[in-house]
Amino acid sequence: MTALLALARRLGSLAWPLGATLALLLAWEVLVRALGVRSILLPPPSEILEVIVLRYDLLLANLWPSLYMTVFGFLLSVVGGVFIAILITYSAIVRKVLYPIIVISQVVPKISIAPLLIVWFGTGAISGLLLAFLIGFFPMTINAAAGFQAVDEDILKMARACMGSRWQIFRSIRLPHAMPYLFSGMKISITLAIIGVVVSEFVASQEGIGYLIKLAGGLLDTPLMMAAITVLSITGLLLYAIIAWVEGLVIYWQSPSFVEVAQGA
Amino acid sequence: MSGHPRLASGAAAAGAASGRRAARLSIKSVRRLYGELEAIRDVSFDVAEGEFLSVLGPSGCGKSTLLMMVAGLLNPSEGEIIINGDPVRGPRREIGVVFQSPLLLPWRNVLDNVLLPIEMLRLPRREYQERARALLDMAKIHDFAGRLPKELSGGMRQRVAICRALVHDPSILLMDEPFSALDALTRDEMGLELLRIWHHHRKTVIFVTHSIREAAFLSDRVLVMGRRPATVTRELAIELPRPRLIDMMEGDAFNHHVRILRKAIEASHET
Repeated sequence: MTALLALARRLGSLAWPLGATLALLLAWEVLVRALGVRSILLPPPSEILEVIVLRYDLLLANLWPSLYMTVFGFLLSVVGGVFIAILITYSAIVRKVLYPIIVISQVVPKISIAPLLIVWFGTGAISGLLLAFLIGFFPMTINAAAGFQAVDEDILKMARACMGSRWQIFRSIRLPHAMPYLFSGMKISITLAIIGVVVSEFVASQEGIGYLIKLAGGLLDTPLMMAAITVLSITGLLLYAIIAWVEGLVIYWQSPSFVEVAQGA
Repeated sequence: MSGHPRLASGAAAAGAASGRRAARLSIKSVRRLYGELEAIRDVSFDVAEGEFLSVLGPSGCGKSTLLMMVAGLLNPSEGEIIINGDPVRGPRREIGVVFQSPLLLPWRNVLDNVLLPIEMLRLPRREYQERARALLDMAKIHDFAGRLPKELSGGMRQRVAICRALVHDPSILLMDEPFSALDALTRDEMGLELLRIWHHHRKTVIFVTHSIREAAFLSDRVLVMGRRPATVTRELAIELPRPRLIDMMEGDAFNHHVRILRKAIEASHET
């Protein structure tokens, strides 16, 4: 019953943004047709949808390489970010030496080194993967480090009084405590990883959604280009939604639950 | 019990206590500095086995600092603390600590929170699970074993914290103003609960508080700490029969103790 209610509330909260989006698409459709705007400038949504349906095999064939590079680059940035964050948390030397370097290195717009990566690693998957990793790594590291260090000093004191070792305190206290921080880092990293992959494909690639967008642009095939952008956006939304869904499962103690029931008992 | 509690001078009371039972815990000329600031000056006392000792003083008088040193979480600048013959060098198994706030882990249910010390000490969880449940039963929160801390009231959370401090069967229980965050009614109730648990398990208790009535009601003996100097300025044996009952708080004997303690605190403020 409560679950149903929660679902209904959730759908209710989605109704407004969904409705607004549909209204916008409808206005776009009507205006483009009424004003006779040419497809090459701005195709109506119906035409973009038509391209997605008719050329789904081309879109999918180019989506897969982009998708797996995004996911692997993202996973690398999560593992790397958490690892460096652990070092930052536990090693004063790393905190003093490495941390400022990582922060300062953020001045370099990572997209600008995409051509450099191509020079070093070629036009294959490695360049895209590396760019996705590099671009997603920073928010992951910063969030994880903040999470590991945000534990209440008194809780650490309590754990030490229980004779917990460093590792036990990390595993039983710092890590679960950092989970909300890790997930906000992941949500940022996944969207950035997509950018990294697409930019890398823009620069030099023989496949991928970024390659398809560039190719369609070159052919002045605007409907195909916008179909590719749409597919890319939906993919990004789905990846984000997956992380948000896992977050809800992992951080069960923060989801609003049956407080009233407990206090009524 | 007559309405004329005997007053014991510091040395006499300590002597009487250690004469009856072997001292388990000795604090010897302990001093603690924070830079230039002297948080604790020359504190010495013994605690007998099974004794309920309160350290009473205004906030900022260093009583929590003293307790953290006994817990092995802080080192004395001078002097030493001896437990069962060994000087304290760090946290020890025979100590359980209850802090001012419950400090429960929000992602663990009540039972798993209570079992945290068992995990940290690498003791067999299965053996201690029964003990944890028995403790929750005694603290009257057994029905909440599977709940998360956010589903509990403040008083219930602090009960869980007390169970956690007792689960590994420590012989010494250190309590740092454990009820100060609770409302007055819950506070009295928790005091009674604590006495019941203490009576059952016979732990040595050091109870830090700034509530005169709480100290007088719970303790065998009260040490008063002053702010200037930050040291023990007075010692009072509480001559009230056990078990203690809420009604005693209305009685002359109780109020007599309260008056003496209040005067002692005021005296330490004046200087």
